[in-house]
Amino acid sequence: MTLLPWKRADRESGPQTSVFEDLALPLFPSLYNVAFWLCRNPTEAEDLVQETFLKALRGFPAFEPGTNFKAWIFRILRNTYLTSRTGLAAMRTVALEDELEKSEESGSGLQPEAAIDRQTPEINLIRLSDQAALHAAMEKLSPPLLEVILLCDVQEMKYKEIAAILDVPIGTVMSRIARARDALRRALQSHPTPIREFRV
Amino acid sequence: MSDHLSPVNLNSLADGELSAEDLAIADEHLAGCPSCTTDALYQAFLKAATARAGQRYSPPAHLLKKITYQSERQTSEPHPETAARSRGRFGVLGWATAAAVLLVSVSVLLMQRSVHQAAIASAEQVALVIEVSDQHIATLAASSPPQVVSSDKHTVKPWFQGRIPFSFNLPDNLPKGTTLDGANLTYLSNQPVAQLLYSIGKHRVSVFVARRSGAIRPVGPAAEQSGFHVMSFSTDDLEVIAVSDVDQARLSDLVSVIEKAQTGTHKQVN
Repeated sequence: MTLLPWKRADRESGPQTSVFEDLALPLFPSLYNVAFWLCRNPTEAEDLVQETFLKALRGFPAFEPGTNFKAWIFRILRNTYLTSRTGLAAMRTVALEDELEKSEESGSGLQPEAAIDRQTPEINLIRLSDQAALHAAMEKLSPPLLEVILLCDVQEMKYKEIAAILDVPIGTVMSRIARARDALRRALQSHPTPIREFRV
Repeated sequence: MSDHLSPVNLNSLADGELSAEDLAIADEHLAGCPSCTTDALYQAFLKAATARAGQRYSPPAHLLKKITYQSERQTSEPHPETAARSRGRFGVLGWATAAAVLLVSVSVLLMQRSVHQAAIASAEQVALVIEVSDQHIATLAASSPPQVVSSDKHTVKPWFQGRIPFSFNLPDNLPKGTTLDGANLTYLSNQPVAQLLYSIGKHRVSVFVARRSGAIRPVGPAAEQSGFHVMSFSTDDLEVIAVSDVDQARLSDLVSVIEKAQTGTHKQVN
């Protein structure tokens, strides 16, 4: 088994705290944003971010300089979340998602042709401009699907980085992203559009 | 076009994750497939839209302060294990060092005090030797006779009754050639003392008998002062100092018999 870059090093002396702050503090808003999405609660999000920073600071001497700090600290955030009360509930969903992935691999899952609504492209594009509809659609996503969307679209991470954070194969990341976007599309289709409201 | 791009490929295209080879294939397909082009465009818009919508929550200002404070506190405080190790090390090394420092400090202090006290005692002894020598010389130079002139101890001793606040014994038998000439009431270190005057041959001897106190200390080993021998002994109550230019052995004989008279045993003759 190949260790992740930040797992390789376990050096006695690491970079100084000021280096940690230089790397971590710019990520503070992103970490909080993802934490809030995952927890859906401001207090829990604050606790999660605080604990993440604390763990990251303690573990920073083991971080190998030059490797992906963003992926490293987001992995800490996710692991911390998974051990929280909210995260433990999400873990059950993760297990369920794994079963869904297996069923996809067997061919009974997502159907490519059905994945994209080809009938109303204009309506779909209009709905994409509706922030409330998007928020509602994202909130409906299960934690495993939401986190890939957050990491991929919001944090603009590569599949490889996401796979390292989630500790899953890249294929699983790709699969989850596809299902997440399909779920978003379906949720947006079921959401009333502003145009429809004009018509009423 | 029968083989449309799969959702995974469409997503990978939107995410910029297609390899160069797959990208070329996708481009070729999209050029001839409006349906997949629409899907690819939708995926790109969806990605941009979720990116914007996903930036939803901003951290409260107090959280950053709290985290910064926490970070500083974490930095200033040693890691629990490190602290425990430090405490452990201090428990052994620290206390040992502290004990050693304390021991050395006390030793140095005691040594300094001892040296200081020895220096004071030495200075007092020298001063006393000088004083008894001076008094002896003054007695030799005096033209006047002793305050009590008698070779009888039963005359000399009673003469001091009421003059000095202590009493002493005089030997019955003196060494050969030694006689009692008399005595004076004098003062050493502002203390009243008895100055017994003896003659050993033609040499005059002054024996100062003082009450033992802090003011008059033992002279110590036989000393020399201006050509005079100074010898002393102590009892529980008395301090006796003899000074003469007679040879040291004969002076020592006299001092011994005087001391025996005080205690009945020879305690200390310097």
